[in-house]
Amino acid sequence: MENSNNVEKLHTDLMTVNMGPQHPATHGVLRVEIKTDSEIVAEATPYLGYLHRCMEKHCEHLDYRGVIPFVDRMDYLAAMNMELGYSMAVEKMLGTEVPERAEYIRVIVSELQRIASHLMFFGTYAIDLGAFTPFLYAFQDREEILRLFEELSGARLLYNYFWIGGVWNDINDDQLRRIAQFCDKMEENVKKYHDLVGMNKIFRDRTANVGVISEEMAYQYGASGPVLRGSGIDWDLRKKRPYSIYEKFDFNTVVGKGEMGTLGDCWDRYYVRVFEIFESIKILRQALEGIEEGPVMGKVPKIIKVPEGEIYLRTECPRGELGYHLVSDGGKTPYRLKVKSSCFTHTSMLGELGKGQMIADFVATIGSIDIVLGEVDR
Amino acid sequence: MSSSTEVNTFANDELTVGKWFGNVWTAIRTVIKGMMITFKYVYGVKPVTIEYPEVREELPKNSRSRLFNDVENCISCYQCATACPVDCIYITAVKRDKDAPALKTKSGTPIKLDLLQYTIDTALCCYCGLCTTVCPTECLTHTTDYEFAQYTLDEMKYDYLAEDVKAWRERIVK
Repeated sequence: MENSNNVEKLHTDLMTVNMGPQHPATHGVLRVEIKTDSEIVAEATPYLGYLHRCMEKHCEHLDYRGVIPFVDRMDYLAAMNMELGYSMAVEKMLGTEVPERAEYIRVIVSELQRIASHLMFFGTYAIDLGAFTPFLYAFQDREEILRLFEELSGARLLYNYFWIGGVWNDINDDQLRRIAQFCDKMEENVKKYHDLVGMNKIFRDRTANVGVISEEMAYQYGASGPVLRGSGIDWDLRKKRPYSIYEKFDFNTVVGKGEMGTLGDCWDRYYVRVFEIFESIKILRQALEGIEEGPVMGKVPKIIKVPEGEIYLRTECPRGELGYHLVSDGGKTPYRLKVKSSCFTHTSMLGELGKGQMIADFVATIGSIDIVLGEVDR
Repeated sequence: MSSSTEVNTFANDELTVGKWFGNVWTAIRTVIKGMMITFKYVYGVKPVTIEYPEVREELPKNSRSRLFNDVENCISCYQCATACPVDCIYITAVKRDKDAPALKTKSGTPIKLDLLQYTIDTALCCYCGLCTTVCPTECLTHTTDYEFAQYTLDEMKYDYLAEDVKAWRERIVK
């Protein structure tokens, strides 16, 4: 009795630990300051700014074509999707019509990029949870996509492929055939990968009932993309507010169902991402059928001067909704280009999500919201 | 030490003996299934790694790697320097004397300016390819040459008028 009283008198304190900025689990240079109570996270605060490159300010001094390489560098794992939003915003202000073939190429390429991005998530998430092999499988498939992009655009990661008015380079029949073959292969492979990782009992125990984002919390924080869909909300911009030529395609929105535990847990977000690959394959197949011969570049003046005005345009990227607020004063350069990135909003959830979690679960939570720090800081 | 922070837990069902054995059985089943998939890769799949110094990968034709400027065809129009988003192209040119013999590029465009300096800071370059698309004489091109590591940053500045850099024309496959 006396002994236990002494224990209660002992001074206990929270310990502050920095996770990051160089930590394998933070996917880049994110620093999370964690106050730990033994193994439990009592408080988590994410600190940003380690990858800030003043991209928005830079864009004010570049001509409209020169912005595209900078836009690439935001989310470097889904550069094509970043370019799509920007080029669409400028085209809409210019009133340029993009040729049909270019639109099809854009859809094909951005869906391939979505697959590549989700494969990257699949691989790195498995690494976060201690499985190394799936990472290599994912990279083997991703490599094929990157090789195709290299032939198409000339670069492997930062493409500068979507130009204002169309795309830079035409796609040839051989490449289209290779994409069709890739789709067939990918469908089998993803099923295999899901059996290997997603259905594994150890993986399920690590992710189910962990890092639960309830429907209400997802709405409050303004989550989008797979994080929102993982919480059971049926919202996909490609479906609900079709842009480009997405209204032509028939596909489903993957929504988390809480199969392995609570609705909105890490497993649900994993499930949404992996099964979105199948939906992307569906879109790719329809696009490969529908693509026709034609020009790939619309009529754009040599020096682009966007008429005065402003536009807010949003697209569905692999990590969520990406919005561009472009203000023009009629000059050669944008007056202001504000980017609304989904990764930023998702990072702000970490504080609430981390509270009361074990440290190992917190690693799983950071991995499951799949942030790219290039997009958070810009 | 008593823990003051409460653990958030969302699992609501209690563990029974039956469930415990069920969990063990699922774990064994799913791990074996995963191992079967992994073992297929031992013999079934060819290695994809390229053993670099021995085997050199050939990049696709329009790959954007090291820049090369064919200075004899350059008309010093400054368009590449204007288009460059990171301003890494430095050009100095003066007006050509009227008495000097007339020069023409390969495509027949008269050269009216004498190029004194054409330097690209490859360490700054972001390989976006915007400079090559605006070049009117198509003398500035991206090559497929990807081995150009240097010991100092200064060596990454290529002066395309220097003799040793001019010699790349033979080395580079375009």
